[in-house]
Amino acid sequence: MDTLNELIGGFAAALTWQNLIFAFLGCLLGTIIGVLPGIGPVAGVALLIPLTMNLDATGAIIMLCAIFYGTAYGGTITSVLLNTPGEAASAITTIDGYAMTKIGKAGAALTIAAVGSFVGGTIATLGLVAAAKPLGELGLLVGPPEFFALMVVGISLLVALAGKSMVKALISGALGLLISMVGIDPVAGAPRFTFGSDNLLDGVSFVAVIVGVFGLSEILSYRKDTSASAVHAPGLRSLLPTGTEWRRSAPSMARGTGIGFGLGLIPGMTGSVSSLLAYGAEKKFSKHRNQLGKGAVEGVAGPETANNAHANAALIPLFTLGIPASPTIAVLMGAFLQQGLTPGPTLFTEHSEIAWAIIASLFIGNLLLLLLNVPLVGLWTSILRVPAPILTALILLFMVIGAYTINFNVFDVFVMIGFGLLGLALRHLDIPLAPMVLTLVLGPLMERSLRESLEISQGDFGIFLNRPISMVLIAIGVLIILSPLLKLRKPQALNEDPET
Amino acid sequence: MTTESLMAKPGTKGRIAKSVLAGIGAFVVVGVYALVSSLGLGLWTSLGPGPGLFPFAMGALLVAMSVLWLLQELRRPSETPGGADLGLVIAVVVSLAVLAAVLDLIGFQLGMFLFLMFHLKVRGHRGWPSSLIIALAGSVGAFYAFNYGLNVTLPAAGIPFLNSIGL
Repeated sequence: MDTLNELIGGFAAALTWQNLIFAFLGCLLGTIIGVLPGIGPVAGVALLIPLTMNLDATGAIIMLCAIFYGTAYGGTITSVLLNTPGEAASAITTIDGYAMTKIGKAGAALTIAAVGSFVGGTIATLGLVAAAKPLGELGLLVGPPEFFALMVVGISLLVALAGKSMVKALISGALGLLISMVGIDPVAGAPRFTFGSDNLLDGVSFVAVIVGVFGLSEILSYRKDTSASAVHAPGLRSLLPTGTEWRRSAPSMARGTGIGFGLGLIPGMTGSVSSLLAYGAEKKFSKHRNQLGKGAVEGVAGPETANNAHANAALIPLFTLGIPASPTIAVLMGAFLQQGLTPGPTLFTEHSEIAWAIIASLFIGNLLLLLLNVPLVGLWTSILRVPAPILTALILLFMVIGAYTINFNVFDVFVMIGFGLLGLALRHLDIPLAPMVLTLVLGPLMERSLRESLEISQGDFGIFLNRPISMVLIAIGVLIILSPLLKLRKPQALNEDPET
Repeated sequence: MTTESLMAKPGTKGRIAKSVLAGIGAFVVVGVYALVSSLGLGLWTSLGPGPGLFPFAMGALLVAMSVLWLLQELRRPSETPGGADLGLVIAVVVSLAVLAAVLDLIGFQLGMFLFLMFHLKVRGHRGWPSSLIIALAGSVGAFYAFNYGLNVTLPAAGIPFLNSIGL
């Protein structure tokens, strides 16, 4: 009952006209980022953080969350209409989505994808409502050693699942941790790795780093300027699926929700794994599996539902335990921290109203996406017709504004350029970028909990093994890191996923 | 298939790419720098763990993983992907660096206008009308939208003359 009352209070806060506008703008911007090739959700969310700097914490996070799940739907539009996924999680949708376009069913495919996204996202948010209190209360029982061990597990999972080589993933993770330590040491007050520069005393701006590593390096790695040609938006009349298509989609959406929700809870699993497994489930269980690949609606409904259920479920570990499950969520966590909010169990005790307003806004945002995206499909496709040089110039404009306005200092623009070149080098060397983002955000928290733990134990590292919860968590982390020696296999999709 | 490729033992053919060697070398240098600097910061104090403890561990991890990567490469050199378009990299990086260097001096509006014109007209070969309209919207338009609409201050020109004419 408490939860219900708090959720109702959250809706009251989220339904103010200002917050509705923020959710609307977030959905709009998120969809544009999802549609645009070359700018993924990680850089997209980081790039738009400066826009929210002057907003109150609730409005800012509502907008950034809406951008986050808006990208998940935006990628679908290009998958269906152009056979080109706007983001990795929609790649599998190209098979049946584009096949539906070729037989004149693009409108139905987009509507089914939007409804599936709404269903998956809403059910996953209900999961967040149910899990928030019990997991939050459990989280309050953990002390610094358990918190450190929990972060070790989260980072181990992401490192183990990112890219093709664990050695390279560990290099990426160590680099992120080292970058996060630049600036004044929070305990002793000593400057670390500042090279005598006053600009580095407050550390390196994580927005400038993320925009550089994920966004600028993507532009620098373009081989040839390309732009979409001959994109035709389906008319409004063709947007309605037939009764048979609705009936065939319902079981696929149910399966997609289960898969996306389950995998979204696991750090390191990306939306593309969920959508791929959901497609696999359709191949196995759908009554019309022989039509998959030829324009079957199940091939759109399953993966797209899974993709959005995953995106929303991935917020559960962030809200309840303070552990980001993916690079995009890590950027979102950075935005929380910049607003003075620490995601995790204390969020529900110290900022209860804000936390529940954000959760309520997730329901509203999912509904807005459904109402906005299908009728506006003509607008989204027109964005794709903008020539590549213009898009590139405009993306660079927003990168400069994004990097500059964090501290109103051109030094951050240079930081972005430097990290853009580093990102290009890491891409060339096939080093995954995801562990770096995660450790960059978690680094200070991880170091603080390690030092607090060792202060409690007066320097005895045994504290991590003497307490049962931290011992189990550390053992899980070690097992994950040793998984290559144990010859445990990971999903193939993660090797190819640009988000990792 | 050539005789040479038939004769070569699996995993030993080919050389380590120069870019991979340079990358490993750079990571070792960064790791060693972190190790040495951490020692200077102090690993342990009378109050407990010192500011150098965590960076020391990360420096050691970076060096260890770089050495492991080198050993992996010696055993089986990895395939290196094709390089980026060097012309594009230079054009984007240099134009951004010049923009950042002059931003406080000539202001956001003029700096961004010239930056956008370079990317639209010179690099992108767009027509004059579309280049001018987009460059003006992205510079003057963005300046007023951010300064007055979003209350986010973008830099005005530091040169008095430019400042006096509203740039």
